[in-house]
Amino acid sequence: MEAGDTMDIIWLFMIALALIFGLVSGKVDLINQVVINIGKDTFDFVLPLICMTCFWNGMLNVAKEAGLLKKLERLFSPLLRWLFPDIKEDKETLGYIAANITVNLFGLGSAATPVGLKAMNGMQKHNPDPKTATRSMVTFLVLNTAGVTVLSTTLIALRASFHSQDVTGFMPFAILSTFFASFVGLTIDRWWNHHGDR
Amino acid sequence: MAIADYLLPGLLLLIVLCALWKRVNAYQAFVDGAKEGISLFLSIYPALLAMMCAITLLRESGLMTLLSQAVARLIPTLPSEIFPMIFFRPISGSASLAVLIDIFKNSGVDSLAGIMASIIQGSTDTTVYVITLYFSTVGIKKIKNSLAIGLMADVAGIGMAIFLTLMFFS
Repeated sequence: MEAGDTMDIIWLFMIALALIFGLVSGKVDLINQVVINIGKDTFDFVLPLICMTCFWNGMLNVAKEAGLLKKLERLFSPLLRWLFPDIKEDKETLGYIAANITVNLFGLGSAATPVGLKAMNGMQKHNPDPKTATRSMVTFLVLNTAGVTVLSTTLIALRASFHSQDVTGFMPFAILSTFFASFVGLTIDRWWNHHGDR
Repeated sequence: MAIADYLLPGLLLLIVLCALWKRVNAYQAFVDGAKEGISLFLSIYPALLAMMCAITLLRESGLMTLLSQAVARLIPTLPSEIFPMIFFRPISGSASLAVLIDIFKNSGVDSLAGIMASIIQGSTDTTVYVITLYFSTVGIKKIKNSLAIGLMADVAGIGMAIFLTLMFFS
């Protein structure tokens, strides 16, 4: 399945159906309003978001320089060797995986992607069949798609910019949900892909 | 939630104290890191604009309300605005972000729908996007059951998010 194509079709269908439905039900004025204002409206949403992201990117960079990220990586290493048994000799790739999970934990998805791709390249080196995913790759992607995030900086920034009375109140529940998603994903992955081996 | 209020300042304090301890070039590191945030604007704004355009049109035309209400009749306990969120979350990050902004704007950031959407947004990542990007980068064609497992984890995460919101916020 090519997600790119799927996205094209969904996007075009959304716009086409909305336009047809709106025109038929006589909402020409509203549609014109949207077309004229959408650029500036979107800009107004993105701007406070970016300002907040700049702040956290700066702080994360300080944390990296201070060696905090490396410490977190070391913390994860026993878990990683259990999750990725077929690459446990490859310290470098495991390091990238740990860094990817760590950066994801801090809700900096855009910073996590480059490191995640390095981890994928590392796993591909041990792949006997370069066109087929290895078990470690599937486990790694399950972990990534569940998106284990403890500090959702984008969400906090967005909620703050909408003047929420309780900006961070959602966080404990989001953390619980994301850990549950990862737990379910990893359990299914273990049971479906690795049952029989220990 | 009092504990959550201490999370951000606590984290900042930890970072600053560590930087002080290690005597790193913290000021320059902060400025360099913040600079990278600007480049994020260039990648977020166009994608979000595409999605905001489609979703705002869907809402203003009345089609989204019509569809949401149709689904809401089947599951009446959930606020009807939440259904586009559930649908888009695994498919597109910018689309679910656009729906989230839409809910904040129209139902309120602290409404039940606003809180539920926040928790859903934080509960899982964009499965389809992540899988496409990561596998295509290393040239893998057979993705085995990763998409199926990813989507099952999404269902679990979103389900938990809805359950927790209904338990603690309504």
